[in-house]
Amino acid sequence: MKNESTIIDVPAESSSAMKGSAPLIGMAKLDHTTSDHSGGYKRGLSIFDFLLRLAAIIAASVAAGTMFTSDETLPFFTQFLQFEAGYDDLPTFQFFVIAMSMISGYLLLSLPFSVVTIVRPLAVAPRLLLLVLDTAAMAFNMAAASSAAAIAYLAHNGNQNTNWLPICQQFGDFCQKTSGAVVSSFVSVVFFIILVVISGVALKRH
Amino acid sequence: MKSGQAEIMETSKGIQKSGLMSRRIAILEFILRIVAFFNTITSTILMATTNETLPFFTQFIRFHAEYSDLPALTFFVVANAVVSGYLILSLPLAFVHIVKSKTQNSRILLIILDVAMLGLVTAGASSAAAIVYLAHKGNNNTNWFSICQQFNSFCERISGSLIGSFIAVVLLILLILLSAIALSRRH
Repeated sequence: MKNESTIIDVPAESSSAMKGSAPLIGMAKLDHTTSDHSGGYKRGLSIFDFLLRLAAIIAASVAAGTMFTSDETLPFFTQFLQFEAGYDDLPTFQFFVIAMSMISGYLLLSLPFSVVTIVRPLAVAPRLLLLVLDTAAMAFNMAAASSAAAIAYLAHNGNQNTNWLPICQQFGDFCQKTSGAVVSSFVSVVFFIILVVISGVALKRH
Repeated sequence: MKSGQAEIMETSKGIQKSGLMSRRIAILEFILRIVAFFNTITSTILMATTNETLPFFTQFIRFHAEYSDLPALTFFVVANAVVSGYLILSLPLAFVHIVKSKTQNSRILLIILDVAMLGLVTAGASSAAAIVYLAHKGNNNTNWFSICQQFNSFCERISGSLIGSFIAVVLLILLILLSAIALSRRH
C-alpha cells in the first residue's frame, strides 16, 4: 500500500517528495536532543524549588508558632495596670499569626505540584500555576511580615509625637519573641522571591 | 506535495496568530504599568503633603501632624516613590517587548525586578496600614491612644493614600502573571 493514514500525507511516488521528507526526520531528531538537554537543567531547578519550599514551610511555621506562644505575664501586679502581654492584645499580631498559618498551609499543599514539575520538567501548566500562586502568597506574606514589623518597631521605640509609649521596656520576653517571629517571616519572604524567580527562569522555552 | 504546501501555510498562519497574541499581552502589560505608575505616584503625593495643625494649643501637647511624625509613613512615601520611579523607567523596556519578538531574557529580568518591587510596595503599604489602623482605633492593652479623634483630615488623608498603593500591589501581581504567560509561549 502506498498511502497509509499518517499525519504527514506526502505521496511517496515522486523522488523529490522523498528527498524532501528526509531533512524533516533529521530535524525531528535534533529537536528531541535539544528538549532532553533543557529538561535536565529544568529538572535541577525543580528539585531546588522543592527544597526551598521545604525550607519556607519551616520558616513560616516557626514564625507563626513563635508569635502564638509569645505570652508573657509579669510577676507583680497593681490595681490599674495590665501586666500580661500576648499576641492577641494587638490585632496586627493576630493577623500575623493567621496569615503565617495560611502561608504554611499553602506551601504544604503546593508540594505535590512541585513534585509534578520534577517528574515532568517540560510541562508549562504546573509551573505557571505555581508561579502565580507563589507571587500572591509572597505578597500576602510580605504584608503580614511588614505590618507586624511596624508594630514591633513601635513597641521597641514608641513614638513621641503621638504619645505612644514603648512597651518593650516592661515586657522584654514578649518583645524578643515577636521580633524573632517577624525576622523568621522575612526569611520566608526571601524564600518566596527566590521560588518565583526560579519558576520564571524554568518557564523559558528554547 | 500539495498537502505539504497546505501544511506549511497553516503553520505560518499559526505563527502569525500566536505572534498577535504575544503582542496583545505586551500591550496590556504596557497599559497596566502606566496605570500602576499613576497609582503609586498619587499615593506618594497624597501622603507626602499631609500637614495638619489644630487651631488651639496648650503647653504640653503637640497639635501638629504630618507624615514624617511616624516612621512607617515615611517608609511608605519612600517605597512608593522608588516603585513609581521604577515603573516609569521600565516603560521603555515594556515598549520594546511590544515591538520585538524574541524577548525572553529581558522578560526574565523584568520578572525579577517586578518581584522585588512588589515586595517593596507591599512592605510599605502594609506597614503604613498597620499604623493607620492603630491611629484609628488605638489600643487599650498598650495604652496607645488613637490620634484620629483629634486629627480628622490628617487621618482621612493617610487612609486614602493607602488605596492607590494596594491597587498597585494587585497590578504588579497581574504584571508578573502576564510576563510569565508571555515567557512560556512559543514566541
